Amino acid sequence: MDDLERLYTTHYAAVVRFLYRKIWDADRAEDLAQEVFIRAMAHRPEKPRAWIFAVAANLARDEARAAIRRKKHLTLLKDDPVPLSTPDPSADETVERDERWAQVNGALAALTERDRDVLLLWDGGLSYPEIAAQTGLAVGAVGTTLARARKRLIEAYDRTEYTADAARS
Amino acid sequence: MTERNTRLMRHVPDEELHPYLDQALSRSQCVEIETHMAECARCSDRRDANAALRDRTTALLAHLTPRSLIIPPPYASLEARRIGMPSFSRWQRSARRAAIWAAGVAAAIGTGWTGRSILDPRVAQPPAETLAATAPIVTAIPLATMAPAAEFTPAPEEIAVPRPNTRDVGLRPASTRRVQAEIMPAPVVRFISSVLPTRVDRNLDETPVAGTVSRSPYAHIWRSVQWEEALQIAGSGLPFIEGMPVVGVLLQPGGPGERPMVIVAQQDASGEVIQSIEGPVAKVTDLLQRQSMPDVRSSTLSRTPPDYIDDRGTVRRNNRMMAVTGRLTTDSLNALAKLATIR
Repeated sequence: MDDLERLYTTHYAAVVRFLYRKIWDADRAEDLAQEVFIRAMAHRPEKPRAWIFAVAANLARDEARAAIRRKKHLTLLKDDPVPLSTPDPSADETVERDERWAQVNGALAALTERDRDVLLLWDGGLSYPEIAAQTGLAVGAVGTTLARARKRLIEAYDRTEYTADAARS
Repeated sequence: MTERNTRLMRHVPDEELHPYLDQALSRSQCVEIETHMAECARCSDRRDANAALRDRTTALLAHLTPRSLIIPPPYASLEARRIGMPSFSRWQRSARRAAIWAAGVAAAIGTGWTGRSILDPRVAQPPAETLAATAPIVTAIPLATMAPAAEFTPAPEEIAVPRPNTRDVGLRPASTRRVQAEIMPAPVVRFISSVLPTRVDRNLDETPVAGTVSRSPYAHIWRSVQWEEALQIAGSGLPFIEGMPVVGVLLQPGGPGERPMVIVAQQDASGEVIQSIEGPVAKVTDLLQRQSMPDVRSSTLSRTPPDYIDDRGTVRRNNRMMAVTGRLTTDSLNALAKLATIR
């Protein structure tokens, strides 16, 4: 098993999660993750872990641009759905999970792009120097940026949860 | 003051505390910080608070995962895909770009030439027979005539030409969603007719929905049209699920100043036909309620944005709706509805 294959085994899921949190499409995230590793096979980068996340970030950016182009004509408003059929038995669980997902997603969206990038790269398993190399931050600034991003994420999440609780009651 | 005391007195700055928690410091730095924390309640409290923040962040981000278990496909399959990928050298890429550019210029010139020949009255018109042969076929299909599916077989020209998926499918075998099935014209109208009412609804004809008063005697008639023609009639109002070939478009003209009601049929990888219906709220609801096939389900209905501006320049109230219907589970249809856009 060579280094890249080992990295693929250990980091594939992290790359999929990283891409998913940027493009919000599970199938596409897996497609792109595989494309990242295929490119890594062709390039054989010196620092493969940092390289795959850098390529993944670029692919996610391209994908987001393409998605905007596709959807710019008109966006559906999902704010007022009209239920047609009776809900499934497991609907409560699904609703709760979807609610939690939306709250975390909203909290993540409330961060600045830099904070979000640093947080997602850290969660993907990158070291401080690797995060610094990818984001252009000084290595010494990664820790404080990360701490700030965490704090803002939690604050934004708590805010949305408080609002949701208030709406429920 | 001894060196030890100095070290103990200096509180751990944030620039060191965060990397310490994320294990980004050297062993000697860690030892120094831990020595200080053993004596300093303030710094150990800060460490605990930041560690809790970090753990909570990790837990929150864990909710944003596509699925609970992500299993990588075999590494060998990636190798096979890499070998199958076309590799272009730099000059080949340049030549390809140049060819695409040249084709674009040629297409622009061709379009201009064609436009000129159409608009310029001095250019001789072709004989009527030629026009008839080349014009897109638009057949008016009243609802009643569409009901018996087996009796109506559309001519091949009536099937809207699907938008080809330009991505190289061979490069992406992991996603079955993107595998394009062969387009079969036969089931199109049959499946659509399963959603359409099987009888002419008199209420729909005699009592127009508020705001959709039509002066045309053909306003309630469904027509099978080509994608391009539907786009032309509906403006930018065709419901469309990205990544699935279009196999048919049905259109019911709307009232003056109003977009028509549209059904776009698309085929998924398994060959199942899914219909996206977009139109005035009352009409879409009515249509769905009157469909009689027990195995045809609908997604949760979505409101679409205001679609036109009235005479006073005011945006009309949001009164349009979209639904995705088909023989799939409601969850699948809801997932498809999330992918839908209005073209």
